Parts: sequence; structure tokens; C-alpha cells
Amino acid sequence: MTDKRITIRAARFDPEKDKVPHMQSYDIPFSDESMVVLDALNYIKAHVDGSLSYRWSCRMGICGSCGMMVNGTPKLTCAAFLRDYWPRPVTVAPLTNFPVVRDLVVDMEDFMHKLKSVKPWIIRKQEMPLGAGEHRQTMDEIDDFRQFSQCINCMLCYAACPVYGLDNEFLGPAAIALARRYNLDSRDQGTKIRLPVLAQSDGVWECSFVGECSVVCPKGVDPAKAIQQTKLDTTLRFVLPYGNRE
Amino acid sequence: MSVEAESTAPVATRVYKPAMATGWWTHKRHYFWYMVREFTALPMAAWLLWFLIEIQRSGSVKTFRPGTSTAFVIFSFICLLFALYHSVTFLGLAGVIIHIKALDRPVPPRAIVVTMFGLWLVASIVIGAVLIGFGR
Repeated sequence: MTDKRITIRAARFDPEKDKVPHMQSYDIPFSDESMVVLDALNYIKAHVDGSLSYRWSCRMGICGSCGMMVNGTPKLTCAAFLRDYWPRPVTVAPLTNFPVVRDLVVDMEDFMHKLKSVKPWIIRKQEMPLGAGEHRQTMDEIDDFRQFSQCINCMLCYAACPVYGLDNEFLGPAAIALARRYNLDSRDQGTKIRLPVLAQSDGVWECSFVGECSVVCPKGVDPAKAIQQTKLDTTLRFVLPYGNRE
Repeated sequence: MSVEAESTAPVATRVYKPAMATGWWTHKRHYFWYMVREFTALPMAAWLLWFLIEIQRSGSVKTFRPGTSTAFVIFSFICLLFALYHSVTFLGLAGVIIHIKALDRPVPPRAIVVTMFGLWLVASIVIGAVLIGFGR
């Protein structure tokens, strides 16, 4: 049996010593065809270099924590199989367009702030008491927003978006997709509250439809679609006399 | 050192802020074609300016004949390709953007795209007829 090995080139950045990140290579065993990039990083952390820093949690594409640049493409490292890269080396870098805190860890503060600004939760004009029953929906009503609700806030779309890379003020794909998700929800009554944030100059109109956000989304969400639909929505609400009628 | 003192110790706040490389759009085919699509606006704007200059040179709209300048004809043909590329890529996305229902059922994206191309054809014929009509 041959001992297969693979080279992982990981970006390293120590905020107390380094001014810019540098790459460090690790030659590790590639023992199992089901190994993913995250497994390789965990192997390095456990057996080779315990100082390597990165985020991860669920290992099953649900939590959205382990997003990194794998050979230049934003990916969830728990879903990036080494067999797709072997025998070539795999380069792992932090998500682009975000400040790097340490090694493969980026600062998520800006994204969290933007996410909160679009109020991604159900807003009611008047909350019903719990005893009053459920807000019922038909399957068709759920289908209206289902795909946008799959977003796991992994930020891969922000790393793929050159508009966000060039102008960090842009609200960004995931935040708009989640705003769209709630605007389309039949139980929600908060569209008018979200629209001022979405329609501002750094909102949907900043997007020039590159479309790469939808390409890299690991959950099949189409943020580019959400953004263009919101552009149309805000325009119709502005132009049509009954546009702002609830 | 007490636990409290440890928790209030200064934390390293330096972060590395990466800048976008000038040639970012050459790194992926998708980015490259996006830039080509965006770039098409530039030659079309130039064509409009040149068109106005050609009209002015001929004296009036009535006396203007587009075939008199070979360079303008060649440039017009190139711009037509750019305009077609821009229009086709733009209208091809209509099915993604437009989200309408008919008889309580969502209209399929393909039907929306076909309708948009149909409307484009009708608009082109009408505008062409109007321009030719004014030119006579």
C-alpha cells in the first residue's frame, strides 16, 4: 500500500509579529479518500503545528464557520475534498475582502453589522399573543422564499464579490438575500422598514451583477437573483402610485 | 496575575487588510466576461458621439448618409457586436430578475426570457421604422 501524501500551503499571519501574511507548507498523509481540507487543517493542528488558527464547528456544511479560500476559490473547507486537488498542493488562505485577524481567521464584524441592519427576522405590526395560534402558510407561500432561507451566513459570497472587495460599504449579497427572504415571507410586515436600508446607494444599487456570489454559494442560494429582484421591487414601489401600499 | 487582570490585558488589534489586486478581473473567466460586458458601454457611448459628429459634418440630419465614412461603418459594425453582446446577456438574465405570477402560478423563467427577446425585436422594428421614416 502506498502512503499518499498531500501538501497543504496555509496562510499564516501573526498580528503581533507580521505585517503581511506568508504561506507555510505542510506535507501530510492523505490516508482517506473522504478527507476534506478541514480534515487536513485539523491534522496539521493536532500533529504538526498547534499554532495554526482557523474557524470551524459542525463539519457538515451547516454552520458556515469554515469558509476559506481554497486554491483561490471561496469554499467551505468541510465540503472541499482533497481528492479533487491531489496530487497538486492545496493552498488555503483566509476569505478575501475581509481583514485578517490571525492565520485563516477573518474579522466578521462588518458582515454582522450589515446583517443586523436589514433586520433578518419576522417583523409584525402587532405581535399576536402565543395563544392566538400560528401564522399559517401554504406551501406556495413557503416556496416564494425557501431558497433564500438556506443561507448559512458563511460569507463566501462576500469573498467572491468584487464590488464588496472594491467598496466595503456595499451591503453585500448575503444580507440582501436574507432581507429578500423576509420580505417575501407572507408572515412578515417589515418590508417598509427594510427598504430604506436596501434602497440606499450602498444597498442593492451598488451591485453591478457580477453573479459570482451565486456561483460560490454552497447552499444553492442565488443572492444575485435576490439583489436584482429587490432592485425591481424598490423601483416599482417608487414609480407606481400604489407601490407603497401594504 | 489575577484572572481579572488577565482579562483586561491589552489585546493585539493589528489586522491585515488585503487590497484588491489591479488585475483581479483576469483571475477568473467569469470576472473577465463581466468586465467585457461592462466595457461594452464605453464603445457604445463613443459611437453615439461619433454619430453626432457625422451628422454635424454632413450639414443636417436630412443630408446625412451613414455610408460616407468607411471608418464610421467599421466602428458601427464593431459597436453592433458589443451592443448585441450586452443586450443578449442582459435580456438572458430577465428570467432571473423578473418574478411574476399568472393565474396564481409563477411564470417560468424561460417564458419571461422569450417574451423579453420578443419585445426587444418589436422595439427594434418600431424604432428602425421610425428612424427610416424620419430619414425620408
